[in-house]
Amino acid sequence: MSLPLRAAAAFAESSMHRGSITIVCKNDMAEFDRFHRMVCQFCELHDVPARALNAMTLALDEIFTNVVSYAYDDTDAHEITVRIDFAPGVLRARIEDDGRPFNPLDVPPVDIQRPMTEREVGGLGIHLVRSLMNRMEYERADRRNVLTIEKKIR
Amino acid sequence: MPPNLASPDVYPMQIREENHGDTLVTIVEGHLDSATAGEFETHLLGRIEEGRRAFVVDCADLDYINSAGLKAFLIAGKKLEPIGGRIVLCALATNVQMVFELTGFDNLFTIKASRAEALASFS
Repeated sequence: MSLPLRAAAAFAESSMHRGSITIVCKNDMAEFDRFHRMVCQFCELHDVPARALNAMTLALDEIFTNVVSYAYDDTDAHEITVRIDFAPGVLRARIEDDGRPFNPLDVPPVDIQRPMTEREVGGLGIHLVRSLMNRMEYERADRRNVLTIEKKIR
Repeated sequence: MPPNLASPDVYPMQIREENHGDTLVTIVEGHLDSATAGEFETHLLGRIEEGRRAFVVDCADLDYINSAGLKAFLIAGKKLEPIGGRIVLCALATNVQMVFELTGFDNLFTIKASRAEALASFS
C-alpha cells in the first residue's frame, strides 16, 4: 500500500466535482493499477465516453511506463504527478516527473507502412500516444518534464 | 533496486494452447502489458525454437494491449518471416484492433474475424 496514492485518493474524491483530479504516484509500475482505476472512476463520474477513456488510459499507460523505465538514473523513489482535467469537449492530462529531460515530441515518427523486416521495435509507445491524442505538448520547467496531452470528446 | 515492472495480479495474462495439425493455436487472455508481455514473448519464441512455424493467436479474450504487447508480436513475427513462418491473429476486440490499426500492425499480421477463418488461412 502506498501512502502518497492513498492521500491523493482522498483529495481526488473532494476534487472530482470540480472537473479535475490530481494523482501522485511513485515511480513503480505497481502503482499503475490503482492510478488507472482512479482515472476510470473520475471519467465515469463525468460521463466521458468509453472511447475517449480507453484512449486516455492507454496513453497514460505508455507515458507512465516510459517514465518508470527510463527517466531515472538513480534507484530512489520519485513522484510522478498526474492531473486530469475534464471540460466539456475535452479530456486533458498533465504528467510531471523529475527525471532526466525527455521530450517525446523529439522521437522520430514510426513509419507504419514499412514491412516487418524494416520495423523498429522501439518508439511504438510514443507513436500510440501521438495517434490517440489530439494534442501533445512538452515543456521542461523547474527541472521537471511536463507533458500535456488532450483528447477531444465529441 | 531496478524499477519494479511487475504489476500486482490485478490484470493477469493467461496462455493456453491447442494443436490443429501443424498449426499451433495460442489463446492469450487478459492483459498484454508491460507486466505480462515479456512472458508472452518468451513463450512464442520458445515455440519457434522448438520448430513451430504456423501460429494462430486467438485474441477473443484479450482485453487490453499496449506497446509492450505489440513488441512481443513484432519480435516473434520478425523471427518467423525469414524462416517461412507466420502468425495469424483472430477475434480481436475493438480496442485491441484499434491499437493494431494505429500502429500499422494490421499490415504486418493477417487478422481474421474468427479462429476458423484463421485456421483456414493455413490450409
